[in-house]
Amino acid sequence: MKKIDLHLHTVQSITDYSFEFSLEKLKEYVDKLEIDCIAITNHNLFDLQQFEEIVRHLSHIKVLPGIEIDLEGGHLLLISENYELIDFEFRCNQIKELISTKNDTISVEKMRTIFTDLDKYLLIPHYDKQPVIREETLSKLYPHIICGEVSSIVKFKSCWSDKTKLTPVIFSDARISKDLHEFPVKQTFIEIDQITLPGIKSCLFDRSKVSLSREDGNELFLATNDGLYLSTGLNIILGERSSGKSHTLNKICDTFENVKYIKQFSLLQDGEENFKKMLSTRNSTVTEEFLLEFKHVVSDISSIDIKQHKLDIEKYLETLIKFALESDKQDAFAKASLFNEVPFSDAELGGLQRIIDATILLIENEQYKAIIENNISIINLKALACELIKEYQKAYNSNLQMRWLNQLISTVQLGLRSKTSATFPEDINFYSIVLENEKVKRFGQIVKGLQTEKEISRKDLRGFQLVVNTRKFANATQLKTVSGGKLPFSDAFSTYDVPYRFLNTLKQIAIPETDHYKYFVNIEYKILNKYNTPVSGGERSEFNLLHEINDALKHDLLLIDEPESSFDNLFLKNEVNELIKDISQKIPVIIVTHNSTVGASIKPNYLVYTQKIITNNIANYKIFAGYPANKTLKSLEGELIDNFNVLISCLEAGKEAYDNRRNNTYEILENRK
Amino acid sequence: MITEEITLMKYLKIENNKGFFYKEVEQSFVWTEIDKINKDDLFNLLNKAISEGFEMDEFDEKLMGHKAHQIIYKSLYEKFADLLLNKARFHDESAGLYNDALNKYSV
Repeated sequence: MKKIDLHLHTVQSITDYSFEFSLEKLKEYVDKLEIDCIAITNHNLFDLQQFEEIVRHLSHIKVLPGIEIDLEGGHLLLISENYELIDFEFRCNQIKELISTKNDTISVEKMRTIFTDLDKYLLIPHYDKQPVIREETLSKLYPHIICGEVSSIVKFKSCWSDKTKLTPVIFSDARISKDLHEFPVKQTFIEIDQITLPGIKSCLFDRSKVSLSREDGNELFLATNDGLYLSTGLNIILGERSSGKSHTLNKICDTFENVKYIKQFSLLQDGEENFKKMLSTRNSTVTEEFLLEFKHVVSDISSIDIKQHKLDIEKYLETLIKFALESDKQDAFAKASLFNEVPFSDAELGGLQRIIDATILLIENEQYKAIIENNISIINLKALACELIKEYQKAYNSNLQMRWLNQLISTVQLGLRSKTSATFPEDINFYSIVLENEKVKRFGQIVKGLQTEKEISRKDLRGFQLVVNTRKFANATQLKTVSGGKLPFSDAFSTYDVPYRFLNTLKQIAIPETDHYKYFVNIEYKILNKYNTPVSGGERSEFNLLHEINDALKHDLLLIDEPESSFDNLFLKNEVNELIKDISQKIPVIIVTHNSTVGASIKPNYLVYTQKIITNNIANYKIFAGYPANKTLKSLEGELIDNFNVLISCLEAGKEAYDNRRNNTYEILENRK
Repeated sequence: MITEEITLMKYLKIENNKGFFYKEVEQSFVWTEIDKINKDDLFNLLNKAISEGFEMDEFDEKLMGHKAHQIIYKSLYEKFADLLLNKARFHDESAGLYNDALNKYSV
């Protein structure tokens, strides 16, 4: 087996953050991580001089020349054998010329004019890794694509087991700078004796020759850069207090991206109000989804000004009556018919447009074609669509003509009005007034329905239920809670029962207009236990743990530090163990524990034991690991330790205590039955 | 002012060379001269126009000797005629108003 990392950066490109390459670091990296082959793959460039220097200094491993190309919006690694370097440099320089800004990208066709014989290279697209090479681009590169790069262990495993996907590879994608402190642990093992480019390609054709570990296939993965391998399933870390368990967990957390880390005591709840707030924040999407339609309504109603309507009507009547009363004294300009002519109003075409769309939908629908044709012939539907479209065109043209005429009338009126002191009647649009009044009326009905007390959602989570209810706000303080600040809501609350007025009073308060919709209904979240009663303090913590663990599926790794610090054993045994086992089927899980309920009954795939040995006042930390069925666990340095003794001492406070508890305490209790 | 029972659906009429509108006063209606119309009256007429069988006498210059009434009646008549012409559109449009929200939040 050989360990390869074919994605390394040694030159800062336009898309990179600033870094200074260190040859020493690269050497340290390949030695410490025991890497057999690397490829130098800088963004859109190949630095021959630097490459030759790297090869000279890393003569004990295989170093391949490569380039990472911005290809049709994604990234592609193109790796060559390490000869004909001048030719490779010449071709890479053409890529460099073409990509001079962050947004530049080249097409497959263009790339093929540069690298004319793709058989000579190994092509590795970003496959389940951003920025991904799209399927369409991949198909243009057929048959030269045999594997794809992924960004996490979880993705690697999922790709590996799906035969319809490309063989996965995982690489560090590291910038080798002098500031690189924690070496990456993303490398791939391939089953090969002698490393050559054709040899690597032949391995990658066969996914069974590709794995995450040297000897254990995809069962184990490298978790820390000092050589600790862990199971891609469920791992338990045991050890005395201060023996380095949390330190190991922190190190794993720092090594990987997208990690869910549930820290010790982090789930203990400090009060019901905070719990409610947290529930509300965590489930904000439920609120957002529930209020989505209402939000649009509020936004529309906000633009309606009923007061202004009354002022407009008043102004219209006042000017009309004045104009009428002055009619006897009017001059020639005011007496002209166009002086007080009202403009034409547009015919509304939205309804007609919707009927046309619906008719076309009927004509084009494939799924229910038979039913449609049984009732209306497509010929008739087409005739209907044509007639409606003609009608639309007629009305549309008429609107255009009327707008043109309105402009003309308006110009004439301006001319006439500038020549006379007579009052001219203001215009008014009755239609928009009645429509907006209707909107306000409907708004009132909607709010009434919205504020009716009801359950809007109920979700089950392992024995708990998240129940979401709506109800009216009871007082101004509750409104203040929504704003999260100290704004005064007492005036606003006095109008709460008249929705349109309430909306207008909200406008007087310094809250964003886009948030007004949140103040009409109180959305309450509560968690009920299995007896359908509100949860206690301890149960709130239990619910939190279950929620956090469920949430872990969005991540690539789940770390839990001493779950027993917040919970009782029964809960850990019944609910948590089962859930953790389920999740470890999908992502690697690592738990630090002292608790025998978690530690032993959960049946982990892998055990890690941390030990602190003080010699001459100097603390020395050791990590042992192995499968639970193994008689011994092995340290990173190769030492062995008895597995049974580790379990008994860490989980049961030693063999003597374990025997005593088993023989005396538990048996006595059992005999009492 | 001429008082009548609430039986007519007509809200604007021409009589004796003058224009009148139908005004609600303490739960009964009175025909009131058109130049006495105020914003509340007009607002009420608007509501009637869209919710009831609203009728009005067609504007005829020859039937209205009173010049001021003629101008006011003509303007109101044209405005209401336009609104009544769009009554079907109003009902279509208002029937679809916020339907998603109404359906979602109704009890």
